[in-house]
Amino acid sequence: MKNIKRALKIHRIFMAQEFKRMMEYKGDFIVGIIGFFLVQLSNLLFLWIIFNQVPTLMGWTVYEVVFIYGLSLIPKGIDHFFFDNLWNIGFFIIRKGDFDKYLTRPVNTLFHVLVEKIQIDALGELIMGIALVCVSIPHIGADWDFFRIAAMICMIPFITLIFTGVKTITASAAFWTKRSGNVIYLFYMFSDFAKYPAAIYNRVVQNIITYIIPFALTSYYPALFILRGENPLFNLGMPVLASAVLMTAGIIVWHRGLRAYESAGS
Amino acid sequence: MKRRLKTYLPFVNAGIQEVATYRINWIFFMLGNALACFVSYFIWAAVYGSGGGGAINGFTLPQMIVYIVLMFLTGTIIASDGAYVVGEEIRDGTIAMRLIKPVSYNATFLFQELGNKLPTEIAIAAPMIVTVEIIRTVLSGSVQFSAPGLLLYILSCVLAYLINFYFNICFGFIAFAIKYLWGANMMKNVIIGFLSGTVIPLSFLPGVLEKVFLLLPFASLNYTPVMIYMGKYGGAQLWYYFGLQVFWALFFFGLSKLLWKVSVKRLTVQGG
Repeated sequence: MKNIKRALKIHRIFMAQEFKRMMEYKGDFIVGIIGFFLVQLSNLLFLWIIFNQVPTLMGWTVYEVVFIYGLSLIPKGIDHFFFDNLWNIGFFIIRKGDFDKYLTRPVNTLFHVLVEKIQIDALGELIMGIALVCVSIPHIGADWDFFRIAAMICMIPFITLIFTGVKTITASAAFWTKRSGNVIYLFYMFSDFAKYPAAIYNRVVQNIITYIIPFALTSYYPALFILRGENPLFNLGMPVLASAVLMTAGIIVWHRGLRAYESAGS
Repeated sequence: MKRRLKTYLPFVNAGIQEVATYRINWIFFMLGNALACFVSYFIWAAVYGSGGGGAINGFTLPQMIVYIVLMFLTGTIIASDGAYVVGEEIRDGTIAMRLIKPVSYNATFLFQELGNKLPTEIAIAAPMIVTVEIIRTVLSGSVQFSAPGLLLYILSCVLAYLINFYFNICFGFIAFAIKYLWGANMMKNVIIGFLSGTVIPLSFLPGVLEKVFLLLPFASLNYTPVMIYMGKYGGAQLWYYFGLQVFWALFFFGLSKLLWKVSVKRLTVQGG
């Protein structure tokens, strides 16, 4: 209990520090937010043009596809907002020898790295994701009840950790190779598959994005339950299980990596 | 001419050595980008599967697959880092070092980047062209390859690269206004992704938009070479789009020179 309290306090101090830093460069963070916002807008235009050609995509209507797209952005945005610093581990921190500072501090290194920075750009994804989910819900003739809405909200922390877990595991590779930014990139790009209903992919891809790099669990499977009430045990249980497995694996690999870590630079 | 070559060849060499150091990283990066192609492939397959199965806006599914692969290849061939490099140098002041050397600012970048790109391009282009041709032959049932088409494509890519290179140099000067280069670049890439037909073929857009976008410099980047390779442009059209590419290349070449002159006057480097 005492530990959690201390962790929360440290988190708060780091956050305050970050906000001060951001206020220094106001114009910059607007550029970032608009940038990520435009990425989503471009994808939505793509969807809009496609749905001008066909009424449904493999049985999914435009609003259902928009819902899945929006839902995929929410965990992605939250992870991006809080835990973006893992990219810096992969690209710069270890290679430049700056990692040593974390080893000298009296907090867990992974915790320190995670809470050290926040990335305001992520709001571009997060706001868009929430907006798309809210806009599409009234147009979808699903049986909305309290349980489904509650399930959707409760799932969000878990599916966020799927992103964080994948990033932690791949970022840890830098302890051995000094630079793993592009490895994170390769695995992170699999989240692109989560933007659309997994029904459009073939068996091989479906299995990969369900069981190996399980980004389909961040949007498609929860949506199957939320929109169609299908198989709650699998559609809600698997994402929770996957987030626990990935995050645990991330923590283990990270600490293994710490043991292998040799400082770089002089 | 010979003296010039002697001046700039070391930059090509430096570029080649740079890329050799980060080879593995580059492979991971390319694989990550290739994933986006797979996503597009599946979504288009679903679109054509849900529709009648015929051509949509002049594209059949096999042509769309070829289009996606060619877009990826062309995007890789003409990629240019200039905006980032120039921006960084303006921001941290190393641009001052360029001012005291008796070589052209733009040309050093150009040659360094060529050194950076040539090995990777040969490594990626040859197998991908073969792949495209195999896909085309299998899907259409007859050999589609044409050597003149390939040559015109390469020529068009060279022009597209020059447009992209000088455009990026120009864009790099935005660092005088925006410090967050990564964000500014992302914004630029998204907009160009759409205007250049990378996201969706321009013929899918409403008529007026398509006409306007075709005139803009960005269609000359990816769309023109790909259309040429696919044999969609013939005769007079071919000359017209080549002319447009030459025009935009010269335009951004001139603009980059102008911006360079103006900003050198404005440049204040602190410390040093």
